[in-house]
Amino acid sequence: MAGASGRQLRAMLRKDIVMELRTKEMIMSMGLYSLLTMVVYFVALSQAGSSFDPRDIAAGLLWLAFIFTSMLGLNRSLVHEKDQGCLEALLLSPVDRPVIFFAKAGGNLIFLLAVEALTLPVFGFLFLQGTQLDWGSIALIPLALIAGSVGIAGVGTLLATMSVNTSGKDFVLAMLFIPLMYPLLLGAVTATGGAIVGGAQGVSVFWTGMGWVIGYDVIMLLASYGLYEFIVGA
Amino acid sequence: MRSITTRATIALVLGGVLTLAAFFGAFFWAGVPDFGFVRTAEQVDSARYKGPFEQAIDEARYLANYAGYTVQVEADGESVRGELVSADEESVEIATESGGVTIDAADFEAATVFGSEYGRPDWGQKIFYFHVPVAEISFVVFAFAAFYAVRFLMTRNREFDTKNRVSMEVTLVFVGLTMATGILWTKAAWGVWWDWEPRLTTYFILTLLVIAYFVLRNSVEDEERRAVYGAVFTILAFIDVPISFFITRLIPSNHPVIESGGLEGPMLVSFILGQIGMIALGYAIYQLRMGEVQLQERIEQAKTLLER
Amino acid sequence: MTEEQQHTLALEVRDLTRAFGVRKALDGVSLELPVGAFLSIFGPNGAGKTTLVKVLTTLLNPSSGSARVLGRDVVSDAVELRTHIGLISHNPLLYPDLTAEENLLFFAEMYGVDDPRVRVSELLEAVELDHRRLDLTRTFSRGMLQRLSIARALLHRPEVIFLDEPYSGLDPHAMDILDGLIAQIRDSHTFVMISHDLDKGLELCSHALILAKGRVVLYEPREAIDDASFRQTYRSTVGMGVS
Repeated sequence: MAGASGRQLRAMLRKDIVMELRTKEMIMSMGLYSLLTMVVYFVALSQAGSSFDPRDIAAGLLWLAFIFTSMLGLNRSLVHEKDQGCLEALLLSPVDRPVIFFAKAGGNLIFLLAVEALTLPVFGFLFLQGTQLDWGSIALIPLALIAGSVGIAGVGTLLATMSVNTSGKDFVLAMLFIPLMYPLLLGAVTATGGAIVGGAQGVSVFWTGMGWVIGYDVIMLLASYGLYEFIVGA
Repeated sequence: MRSITTRATIALVLGGVLTLAAFFGAFFWAGVPDFGFVRTAEQVDSARYKGPFEQAIDEARYLANYAGYTVQVEADGESVRGELVSADEESVEIATESGGVTIDAADFEAATVFGSEYGRPDWGQKIFYFHVPVAEISFVVFAFAAFYAVRFLMTRNREFDTKNRVSMEVTLVFVGLTMATGILWTKAAWGVWWDWEPRLTTYFILTLLVIAYFVLRNSVEDEERRAVYGAVFTILAFIDVPISFFITRLIPSNHPVIESGGLEGPMLVSFILGQIGMIALGYAIYQLRMGEVQLQERIEQAKTLLER
Repeated sequence: MTEEQQHTLALEVRDLTRAFGVRKALDGVSLELPVGAFLSIFGPNGAGKTTLVKVLTTLLNPSSGSARVLGRDVVSDAVELRTHIGLISHNPLLYPDLTAEENLLFFAEMYGVDDPRVRVSELLEAVELDHRRLDLTRTFSRGMLQRLSIARALLHRPEVIFLDEPYSGLDPHAMDILDGLIAQIRDSHTFVMISHDLDKGLELCSHALILAKGRVVLYEPREAIDDASFRQTYRSTVGMGVS
């Protein structure tokens, strides 16, 4: 069965990627949304003048953009499955339920990372020009992005599978997702902030944050993996 | 049916009497608990990072508001306790029993202020006998909700869904009370209504999760699906309970922690009375609500049978 | 269970109940259906028709009682059973942003069909869609989608085919094509169809089942059914009283 599961997992991932490359719906909407967020940031910070160090708030702003953008993508990825009853077709095929979870979460992770990879340089270009950056520690940021996105994609896929069956999908997803994401968000912002500030102290802060994120990922992925079957079976 | 009401009434009366007893004990018999101080230097500020010097200046500025209060300042590895004379960005002056001490801001590590802004120091501490039992019960009832959620997913028996839901309703009541009493104390002891401090933050998140549970339930049409989603979300949300409970012990936090041996004599007795009383009240609320829900379900059952 | 019985009974439902609290979607349903039969399920909305099909297709678990499809239990042998059944729903169950061919290839992979490309071309020809194989199904008409969805349901050569109101939303022409396709595979498969259309359901079936409030009101082979009294029973269960 392991071979079959692997084949099914690949097929589902390939299907999501082919559909996305064709429509570019998720990347476009998430990417543009995160650009719009940058504009809102500029307006929000416009009265602060230059009296603050942008490095202090950069990590928080980045993850704020990611968390809201990811909700947009999560919702869409499951609306696709729900629209014409495709999720039912998947459930009818001889596939173990966790395979569906890992395939959907994997797809969401890939798209989320793509959007983050696009947003990061734009953010740096718009907000961090002229600040002293320690490139050695900046190079650690992708690690934080990956670890954080794993948790977002995993828990988000589970929650979106629920919220897609509710009235008021978007609001319900936000209501469930943001409080549940709090520990991960805090860890991810801490880690990213440490990496942006740099230096030995910054790097040690980075690893403390990463510890939180990875711990949260492990607990939440296990819980989501165990609970997904109940969600799709209801 | 009647037995539930009887038990609930007994629990209600018992809980009321014990809670009242705890109140009287707290105000007329017990002393003032010696915790609930501010440890400003160790505020967790995760979004930004500050060097020790910058922090020390903030600290001194902050301390200046507390001239005349009893403070304990840690500097250069040592700790000095006494009445605060003055504080500015360069130094802090403290009058101890053995004379005045001046501490350089550069050596500053942490400061603790005892008492509150009001002329009656520590009066606000009395809320401890109410706030802590309520908060504890909110965690305990949430644990029951999570237990029933697991049982429901295992058996698909509607009874467990009802118990899960009612437990969550009781959790909401106690979470609300904890928040309300907590905010009052925060204002009295810290001088602010709210502080983004680890325990407060995680507990706020817990409140949001409990509210989210009801938002989720109300937006699902199908009854069984609603039950399954509710149970799954209860389990996920419950992960925040141990985090919120242990966080004050794991990372530096302003929120006081009860240490073993910290309470003695009348204080301990009043505290235990308050705890037992609150458990009884929680049980009574649960049973009363359960009786009501079961009655509703029986009406529904009768309706369904009549339709056939 | 002997080998022979496995091959003679397509459905074996015993005292099947699906309940949540006092609400019973299915209440003690029992029936047996031989292999090769065509079962039409009638009943008013909320009678439990869809629930019954969902339990038989392993999408929902029974609360009590048991159901076997082709001798396989719907709970304990669910994964294996899924390779022997197909579902044609009023929903196409296809991805609009994939082409006809990609849709079928994807589901072929999910089922682990041997030689997926050969099988897919074969089916696209059978449902007369090979000229549109590279078009997105988003651009398909309702009838074409339904044909493609039949191809999808047949990919893994299922022995029992479930039809959930397959005619709803089809124009007369698409209905004719669907009729033709069902006629083609009628002899080699067992069918279970939910229908609101009494004439259509009776015309196709070899067995008829009326469900109401989760219970079996009537279950008889076609030969034993007197059309007029059957209609009467159906109307009284639907509770409309109008002809």
